[in-house]
Amino acid sequence: MSLMNVELKKRQIIWFSIITLLIIISVGLNVIIGSVHIPFSEVYQIVLEHETTSTKGFIIWNIRISRALAAVLGGAFLSVSGLLLQVFFRNPIVGPFILGISSGATLMVSFVMLTTITLGCTFLSPFITTLAAFAGACATMVIVLSIATRVKSGITLLIVGLMMGYLCHAVTSVLVAFAEKEKIKGFVLWQLGSFSGIQWNEIQMMLMIGGIILLLIYGLSKPLNAFLLGEEYASSMGVNIKLFRILILLCACALSAMVTAVAGPVAFIGLAVPHMARLCFNTSNNHVLVPGSILLGAVITSLCDFIARMALTPVELPLSAITAFFGAPIVLSLLLKRRVSI
Amino acid sequence: MNYPQPILQVDKLNVGYHDKVVLHELGFQIEKGEFVSLLGPNGAGKTTLLRTLSRYLSPIAGAVYINQTDLQSIPQGHLAKVMSVVLTEKPSPPFFRVFDFVALGRYPHTGFMGKLTPADERVVMESIKMVHAEDLLFRDINTLSDGERQKILIARAFVQEPQIILLDEPTMHLDLKHRMEVMTILQSLCRDKGISVVASLHDVDIAAKISDKVGLVKDARIIAWGEPENILHAETVAALYDFEGASFNRFLGSVEIRGNGASGSVFTVGGMGSSAILYRLLSKRGFSIITGVLHENDLDFFVANSLGADCLTESPMEVIAPETIEKAKKRIFKCAWVIDTGFSLGALNYGNFDLLKAALEMGKPIFSMRKKGGLPQLTASSKGILFSCEDEIQIVNMLEKKVNEAP
Repeated sequence: MSLMNVELKKRQIIWFSIITLLIIISVGLNVIIGSVHIPFSEVYQIVLEHETTSTKGFIIWNIRISRALAAVLGGAFLSVSGLLLQVFFRNPIVGPFILGISSGATLMVSFVMLTTITLGCTFLSPFITTLAAFAGACATMVIVLSIATRVKSGITLLIVGLMMGYLCHAVTSVLVAFAEKEKIKGFVLWQLGSFSGIQWNEIQMMLMIGGIILLLIYGLSKPLNAFLLGEEYASSMGVNIKLFRILILLCACALSAMVTAVAGPVAFIGLAVPHMARLCFNTSNNHVLVPGSILLGAVITSLCDFIARMALTPVELPLSAITAFFGAPIVLSLLLKRRVSI
Repeated sequence: MNYPQPILQVDKLNVGYHDKVVLHELGFQIEKGEFVSLLGPNGAGKTTLLRTLSRYLSPIAGAVYINQTDLQSIPQGHLAKVMSVVLTEKPSPPFFRVFDFVALGRYPHTGFMGKLTPADERVVMESIKMVHAEDLLFRDINTLSDGERQKILIARAFVQEPQIILLDEPTMHLDLKHRMEVMTILQSLCRDKGISVVASLHDVDIAAKISDKVGLVKDARIIAWGEPENILHAETVAALYDFEGASFNRFLGSVEIRGNGASGSVFTVGGMGSSAILYRLLSKRGFSIITGVLHENDLDFFVANSLGADCLTESPMEVIAPETIEKAKKRIFKCAWVIDTGFSLGALNYGNFDLLKAALEMGKPIFSMRKKGGLPQLTASSKGILFSCEDEIQIVNMLEKKVNEAP
């Protein structure tokens, strides 16, 4: 018995090390390489001395590092959000994007961005958009849940999520049609999903709130594991189902809302990364999967962002396009190999 | 008097969903180490009752007491150490080995992060041994058969170290081997570990043989609760499941299925346990059975009676009365065919041999399984015909052939 645990543990430690190393490499790449050529020695110096006054310093600190950090955080949040939703619905094909949560958040953010509701309180900007996104995410979640609990079928859940996505998208496009022209360009760019132009105060917010939520979720790994057996079993083992349900969903919504608010809707990370984590770590144990998804999500999003930036320079590709390129085949292959069933 | 306190007690309990009451006015109690089966047709409310007992549903009225404490007021973590469940749903999350799956059941005993201590691991191993699944230890649960998975789910419930386990249809979809294995495991939970088991079952015969108590769930209430020996009669079981064309026999402990009698009547002279198999075969092939003369403690009588046969009987240990023989002769006269099962003869049932001789005199064809060389022998008379047959199958095959030849 213990022999096998040791083997599994070894494998997991190796993967954790590989992924951590990859994070460092990909963040490094994102900081060093960019459209403006800055030699490595100079980058090194700017980073060490925290020099932000020169143009190059500005580029490194306020464009590249902030963006690299945002990608790492955003990827981690989306992955954990997806993991929570997959455990909650016991459905392997769900994620914040599929269930319409991201679309709900997008709708509310577009409301804030395209109308003049926030007039005069721009200083609250990251919080207002995040709050709006959170409200939108939760509202969609409540609607999806209320319909899905009536029809207990995995496929119904997916269809409900898809329909909610379409509805939110429809309302968003109506808003766009009525919006002032100056506002539309920024909105369209945001809607494509990108970590560019992220502000340091946004990163601070993500670190603070997101960090607390991630810690909370790690603390919830034990009931999350019980939840793998379904509500009735979990309840019989001593999980407070009502409290736990609300907690999981709020955390999932908050995490994906935060990312949507700062970077726009990003597809497939929340769906694909938990699967990849399960395959890498060869387990469903959430004690391993929560940190595993955090790290793996960070790596993958960071790499995707790098590709989006660099693949066809000077044109920057939308992030969701890159994530879809790697995410969709993963999901399809999982389905075809019957690793998962709906 | 000092009775042990019941583990679980139910008082004027109404169970159901929302405000719709499924079962009314329930009252029963379950003792330590007792095996209780809930029997009843599909949709009678057995699952609803189990869900209420496990607190997944709240009672609509009345209360459930666990060790004299109201179920609703027991802290959830504590309840999980007293009661565990095996549901009809068989979850199988990916990447789970049997050991880890069973270990999930340690939930109420482990700390905040759910880390297993060596003591926890010992309990997990013990319960895997309990269900004879040591060989499955490292298997992925997704590769297990239904029967194996059910054993693992029982081990998971046992690992909570409860005083009572609730199981919803634990033998559903299982083959005979696993069905028996699961029931044996459950029985040893009661006998050896002193755990009370409440299971909803569909096999009346198994339930009758294994349970200490049975509860019959029908028509929105429990129509009977008590020892199966007292409760499971042919009539109650027939009422429970609205049987038509079948009946439960408490002495045989099984259900006999009646034929439609469309193939015609045949008179069987049998007894002494020689005809039970023949009766079932005749019934299966659609013959209506007339038989006699059977002593009322004869296995043949129990089977024939459950099959709805027209039986001529005699009290146990009595010589068959001449009047009964006369009645039998009249019935034989009306039947086209007679079967002799080759029953053993003694002073008490010698009348049956006379009956066979009389049948030959009447010119009835007799299909006989009587062994050659045994005494006494039947000899074909001028009128009757004697067909000698090896076994029941041969008799019924010949019989069917003759029936089809007849105009």
